[in-house]
Order: sequence, then C-alpha cells, then structure tokens
Amino acid sequence: MTGIIFDVQRGSYVNGPGIRTTVFFKGCNLKCTWCHNPESQDFEPQIMFYKSKCTSCGICRNFCESKESCIICGRCTRECLTGAKALCGKKYTADEIMEIIKKDIPYYKNSSGGVTFSGGECMLKIDFLTELLQKCKENNIHTAVDTAGYIPYSSFEQILPYTDLIIYDVKCMNSTVHKKYTSVQNTLILDNLKSLLLIDKEIWVRVPIISGINDSEEEINELKSFYEMYGYPQKTELLPYHSLGEHKYEAINKELTRFNTPSNDKMQKLMKLIK
Amino acid sequence: MNERISKLCALTLDGKMYVETIKPNFDRYDYFLPTEQMNVKRLCEYILCQKPVITENSLFTGLFRFDGSVVGDAFNRSGHKNTAIALKNFYLKKIGNLSTMEWQHATGDYSRVLKKGIKGIIEDIDASALMHYKPEELEFLKGLKDVANTIIKWAEKCSDKVLEFSKSVSDPTKKNNLEKLASSLLLVPRNAPSSLYEAILTMYICFSANPDSVGTLDRYLSPFYFNDIKNGTITRDEAKEYLQEFFLMLQSYTHISSPHFTRGGQSHFCIGGYLEDGIDGFNEFSVLIVESLMELPTYIPQLTFRWTSKTPKDVLWFMMDCERKDPNKRIAFTNDDMRIACYTKICGIPFEKAVSYTTVGCNEPAFLGSMAGSNSKGNLLHSIETLFHKNYGKIINCKSFDEFYGIYESILFDDLEKIFEYDNKYNKIRARDINYISSLFACDCIENAKSITQGGCNTAIASPTLMGIINVIDSLIVVKKYVFDEKLMSMKSLIDALHSNWQGYGMYRTVILNTTDFFGNDDNLSNYITSLFYDSLYKFINGKKNIFGYQWLVGDLAGYNEHYKWYGEDTLATPDGRYMGDMMKFGVGQNEGRDRNGLTALLNSVIVAHKNLIACGSTVTNVSLDKKLVEDDEQFSKLVDTFETYFRNGGVHFQLTYISKEDLIAAKENPDKYKHIRVRVSGFSDYFVNLNESIQNDIIMRTDK
Ligand code: SF4
Ligand code: SF4
Repeated sequence: MTGIIFDVQRGSYVNGPGIRTTVFFKGCNLKCTWCHNPESQDFEPQIMFYKSKCTSCGICRNFCESKESCIICGRCTRECLTGAKALCGKKYTADEIMEIIKKDIPYYKNSSGGVTFSGGECMLKIDFLTELLQKCKENNIHTAVDTAGYIPYSSFEQILPYTDLIIYDVKCMNSTVHKKYTSVQNTLILDNLKSLLLIDKEIWVRVPIISGINDSEEEINELKSFYEMYGYPQKTELLPYHSLGEHKYEAINKELTRFNTPSNDKMQKLMKLIK
Repeated sequence: MNERISKLCALTLDGKMYVETIKPNFDRYDYFLPTEQMNVKRLCEYILCQKPVITENSLFTGLFRFDGSVVGDAFNRSGHKNTAIALKNFYLKKIGNLSTMEWQHATGDYSRVLKKGIKGIIEDIDASALMHYKPEELEFLKGLKDVANTIIKWAEKCSDKVLEFSKSVSDPTKKNNLEKLASSLLLVPRNAPSSLYEAILTMYICFSANPDSVGTLDRYLSPFYFNDIKNGTITRDEAKEYLQEFFLMLQSYTHISSPHFTRGGQSHFCIGGYLEDGIDGFNEFSVLIVESLMELPTYIPQLTFRWTSKTPKDVLWFMMDCERKDPNKRIAFTNDDMRIACYTKICGIPFEKAVSYTTVGCNEPAFLGSMAGSNSKGNLLHSIETLFHKNYGKIINCKSFDEFYGIYESILFDDLEKIFEYDNKYNKIRARDINYISSLFACDCIENAKSITQGGCNTAIASPTLMGIINVIDSLIVVKKYVFDEKLMSMKSLIDALHSNWQGYGMYRTVILNTTDFFGNDDNLSNYITSLFYDSLYKFINGKKNIFGYQWLVGDLAGYNEHYKWYGEDTLATPDGRYMGDMMKFGVGQNEGRDRNGLTALLNSVIVAHKNLIACGSTVTNVSLDKKLVEDDEQFSKLVDTFETYFRNGGVHFQLTYISKEDLIAAKENPDKYKHIRVRVSGFSDYFVNLNESIQNDIIMRTDK
C-alpha cells in the first residue's frame, strides 16, 4: 500500500513521549483557518513557491514540459537555483516508511519513545495507517496516532489494537465556532473522544489556543465538564497559536487569515483551569 | 566560591596572577661545556632564579614558566632549537597543499610523583642508570637527576619566600595559611604527599614541567580526598577551595593578552572513564571537581567527561546539565567504550594502560606522560582533485563505480603515504632536541633513558588530522548517484564541469545540490559511501606505525587554525558542487544544511563514519542545537537520551552549541552560512533561513528568554 507523506521528522521531541519519528500524512478533512501546516490540507502533492526567494531567472519555465497546467512533476523544484520552488508530498510504500522509522529504534528504546503518525489527518488513509501501525508493532515500536477525530469510530476500532497512544486534537467546544473556523461541526469529534475516554487507552488531548476564538475560560471549563462526565485523559496540552506557518500560505497560494497569539499569562490561567 | 577564592579569581581574570619570567646571567664559560651539559646546567640555574607569585590569599604557589633562554617544557617548546626551525619552516606552511606541521601536545603523568615524591623518582633514575651503558643515555639520566634535585630546591626556595612574605601579613587566618604553605613546600614534592592538600601542591609545582593537560584528575586525587574525609582532616568545602585555586593557576598560566586566555584550548583534562579493573571511575570526587570548576567564571581549564556503557543515566544528565548551564562552554564528552576498543584492538595497548588516556588541548586524546606522536594536518580533498584534474584519463571510461573507486583508492593511498611521511619528517626534526624537564614526569623516559621528544615514552597516540573528509564523501556520493546509478551525467561531462569550475554546468550543479542526500542524512547511499571510505582509511592505516613505533590513527579535528580555508583556497572544483577556491567542510558533523533529516540521522551518520575505530584519534564532533531544547527539562531529558543512545551505538565524541539569539541574527544576515539552523515550535518545524523576515524577527524575539 502507498500513501502521500509530506514530511518525516526524525529525532522529534514534541509529538508524544520520548524521542520520536513523526510521519506527516498529506490531506485533511478539517480546514482550520489557523493551520500552521496549510500544505498538509490537500491530499495530493503540491508545488510550494517562496516568492521572496525567486530571482525571476526563468530557469524553471525552461524545464517545464506542461506550462499550461502544472502536472506536479517536480522538475522545476530540482532546477531552481534558489530553493524558491519545493515539492511538498511524496508517495511512499509502507516498507519505505518503515525503513526510515527503523533507523532510530535505539533512540526510541532508550527514551521510551516511538513513532507518531500525524498529518493532515492520518486516519483518512486508514488502511495504509493500519499497515504501518502493524509493522511498528511487529518491531516492538511504541505507536501514537495524532488525529482531529473527524472520522467514523470504526476507524479507531481498526487501529486501536496497534496503537499505544492517541493524541487527540480538540479545536473548540463550541459547535458553531468550530464549524465557522474548521468547516465542520464538532459533534462527531466529541462523540469519538467520549468513546475513547471510556475505554482503557492512553489519550493526550491537545487544544490549540487562539486569541478571541477559543481562549475563554468558558471554553476550557466546558472541556473540563466533558472530562468530568466521561473521564480525564492522561494529559491535556494547551498549545498557544503561533504565526510561524504564515509564509507557507503564500507559498501554496492560499488565503491567509491572521490570528493573535494568547499571552503567557492567559495561557497559564487556562492551564490552571484544566489541571 | 568563598571570599578568598573570589579575590584570587578577580586577580586571575585581571591577569595579575601571571608568572613573569626572570632571565639569569648565564656564565659565558658554559659554552666550553658539551651542549647537553650546558643545557642542563642552565635549565637548573634558570629554575632557581625564578620568583614565585605569592599573595596574602595564597594557599598554593610554585608555578614557573620558561622564556626561551633554556630548553624549557616539551609543550611550549621554548628553547627547543630544532623544533623552532621545523615550526618556522612548516607550521601552517603548506607542502604541496597536502600537509602542514602542527603544534603538539605533551602531557605529564603525575601518578609517579604522587606515589613516591621526587625522592622516589630520583631512586628510579639511579636504578635505570644501572640498566643502561651508552654514554648518551647515562648523560641523559644524569641530566634528569639534576633537574629533579633542582625542583626540590625550587620548592625550598618558594618555602623561604612564603615564610618571609607571611611576616608582613597580620590577618591570623591568612598568616596561618601561608605558614602551612611554607612548611608543606619543605615536604612536597620531595616526598610523597600524604593529604589532598599536599597532593594538589605537588601537582601545582610539577605542572610547570609540562604545562598542558592535568590529565585524569579524579584518578590522581580521589584516594587522597577519600582518605582525608575518612580521617576527618578535611571538609568538602576545603577540598573545593584547593581545587579552585589549582584551576585558577591553570587559567593564570596564559597571559591575559593572548587570544588563548578566553579560548580554553590547550587545557582539557578528563574525569570519569574506565579504571584498570574495568569499573567506571566517576565518583563523588569527580562531582566535586565539576562543581568546583563550574563555580569559577574562567575559561581554562576545560574538561572532558569520559562516558562508559556503565555510566548511569543520571550521571550523564548531571554532566550535560552542568554543560547547558555553563556560559563558558567548558565541558565535552567522549565515549570510553569506543576509545578503549581502539587503543586495545588497533594500537595493541593492554587494557590497563589504555584506560589511562586523557584529553588534551581541543579534545585530542593522549596518554598520560606522553607527547603527541604526530604533528600534522593533511588535506584529503587533494586526492579527489588529483583524480579529476590530473588523472582523469584513468576514470573517463570506468564501467562501474567499483572500478572507479579502486582507482580513487590508490590515489588516496598515495596521498596518505605522503601525509604520513611528512609527519614522520617533522618528528625527526623535533627528535634532534633533547628535553629534560618534561621527560622527568613522562612515562617510561626514565626507564628508556630517552627524551620525550625522541619517543622516550612507550605509548602515545599518533593521529594526523585530516581535512576535507566530508567533501570527499560528498563527492563520491555524487559520482555514484549521478554518473553510475541514475546516469544523469556522464563521467566526461562531470570531468568537463570540474575543469570549467562548473561554468556552463550550473544546471547540473543545482540539481546535485538540491537533490542529493549528502553526508549526515543517514540514507543508504551516504552511509554506504561513508563506510566504504572509512574502510579504505582503515585498510591503509591499520598496522602502520610511525618512526617512534606508535600505531597511526586519524582524526578530523580542525582546531584553531583555518586549514579548511587555506587548503580550500588552492583546491580546484570538486564533484560535491564545490567551486575552485571554496573552503572545505569543517570536521565530520553537521554538513552546512545538507543534513536534512534531523539530529538522530546526523548522529547515525557519524556513527557509521567512526564504527571501524580508525578515527579514534583526534576526532571531535560538534553539534549545534536549538537553544530551546535546553530551556525545558522535559525536552532536555530527551536530549540526554539522544546522546546516550549515540554513545551506546558507537559515537566517539560530542560537544554542543546551542543556537542563541546572536546566531539567529547572524543567520538572518548571512543565510548561506547558517542553513542548518532548524526552528521547532510545537508541531511546526522549518529551517530558519526559509522563514520570511517578520517571522525570523518573531523567533529572534522569542529566543531572548
Ligand atoms: S527557477 Fe527558481 S528563482 Fe528562477 S524563476 Fe523559477 S522559481 Fe524563480
Ligand atoms: S511541477 Fe512540473 S509541471 Fe509543474 S511547473 Fe514544475 S516543471 Fe512544470
């Protein structure tokens, strides 16, 4: 089986316990307006174009064999002297991904780390994901799946036997706001979280905090009430919004909406509420 | 640090503790003596003419330095006439863009003087004289004995001076300290020390004889410390004070106006590592040494922590924690498992001796009481240049990479032969000088009746350092990938491209730079080439010995001097995309942004390079990291795990740099130089130079925490 992957980050310290390799799947069914990896949203490979680096030398056009409409052959990205063009997304087989993953097994073992499948939404390629998870388990590698949860629960049932940790992104508790900024309602997402909390599985909930959107105390209290009803996850991480992905919007010619980063004080206050 | 040490520290950092030299009025009739007799006579006179530095806060004294008027220590080589000639002609002066002479370290072995005092050493000299009959050997031993007696007299002179000085001091504690010092100087280094204080005083005085690394400090001093503690004759704080005054002496040895004063090179010593019985030697006293040093805001000395596979994780954590908090970056890390395996298997040194290595200077390994057996820097990229610019007729019709590599390997071996030959030649010039003062505290020189400069010690590390290794590996990757595997270009077009310095071949060069997994990416091709290349080094070097009989090893240390630039200036274009005249890569580690797969990939690549052990010579791996990794304990723990794994899997060495705000500002202004800086915030990650200005500014601001 194959899947389109837009990045494999080795030696990652942030997506779960220990030292990890994070595999980023391309394609997502949420369209979060604040997404810091907007190139992860489309399912197919894309050409990213960093205008500020382009010297208008025209070399890329000379090599292009499909000037009228781009077929994402990637040729221009190899010829560009300045790195202004880059290909985002590449097709991999599960074995190719496993070959990369296996290189860092000693680091996982020594740090209680492992592999995190992320995206985009990795669970949309459920069969490819399952194959990878199974292969990791065959190699005794700790597995984490980072998901936004907008998928049928049956998909979770398919991966749970091979998944040690679910990193579950909750964008917003208010359904109307959720719909406005992510393009979908949060009912299915919260239903799935509910079901997951009720079973015996390690869950880390992650909430991106965006000023003026979901940074109110009510929001966090609502999440807390949800936990009170269905159980607490092992960990909740509140992640302040940052603008570091802005340049990528221009690179894929996507309209950018700017948001504000919550203050440190605010973050600490919210953190206290959920602890 | 207590008040006394604070005061001494301020004086030291002000340059006020520097020992000035005094030149005696030598007797002109000395010239009627045979040269060596004159050299010894004048050396002894010189020492006794010096003046110790004593302050009202002193608890130690006795350091002296040489001024070039006599044959001084083997490290500074002042007064070594032939070495001076060699340095004048070959130090940093290239021969055929292939080799230059380098400075050589020479480090004392204090174990003998700590065990039996100079009196015991004199007995050893007498015993050795009974075993030797050649006149020059007997004369050498007589010279050693004269120098040994002179050091005892020097200590006595220091004692007198201290006592005299103490009379002008009214504070009872200070007076008491000085009186203690004066009476101890009559006991040591003549006799074996009986306490930690006397042991440190012994090293303090004897350091003048070989003012380089102080070696394996925790091994030398632990027995004294634990004994004093057991007997209740010392407190931990007193021990710390003694160590700190000792470290301040090491700092004050260098003149404040020297650029070396703040660099900290020439000064590494070791803690931890395997002991003779195979256990890990890191102990409570090692912790005290680190704590004592870290409290001082000095630059010299620096220390290398010898990690073993028996080192508990919390010890590595402690050492890396001290390192992350040290603004002066004084701690480096090396892997005993790899080094000892190399010294036993490749050099044939018994385990009990192999464990007695230390690090010197910028982290080069050396055996205690030895002089570096090698003293050159070679240019390995010269072999690639020769192949593509002179011998291209041989490769133009190669049918396979293996055929190509066979031809390359023979040119590589020719260059290595020359590099090693020059190294021997530099050694031969140096061996015309006979050294006494350093030989007295060197291993085996007494028993062999031979100067340290002439290979008097039985065991030493002979490791020329090789520049341009990464450029060679990257060049070979390009040849295999584009000429033989993917056939993007023919061998002829690659040769033409290099002959024209890539003019007219810009497209090829761009594709090569944009799409090659170069060294550091831990992919199959770069690992294959790295392994192939290091195996060639092994094949050539294993079993080869230098003129003194020391097994050759190699290293990749660049050191202070910019050989990578100088050699690069005279090297034509190479297949790794390098233009004629461009500088070569610095060391074997981060590859200027060409390593794109993260830290674990980089470390795995370095492990591949070093796995056959031949590069356990002067090898240093520098790693720059995002400063954020050390600001948060949770992430820092993962960093410790990462480097522990690296060592467990065969990494030889590492030292860390954390990217600071200043680096980021520099990166913004000079992106080509800082391509490797990767910023990570939560799940987001990108190269710093890829970000647009406002975000770069944002990150620069965030970095100021
Ligand atoms: S090759 Fe690169 S720099 Fe030149 S026009 Fe195309 S994108 Fe711009
Ligand atoms: S990806 Fe291929 S088709 Fe698209 S612009 Fe580049 S060269 Fe042309």
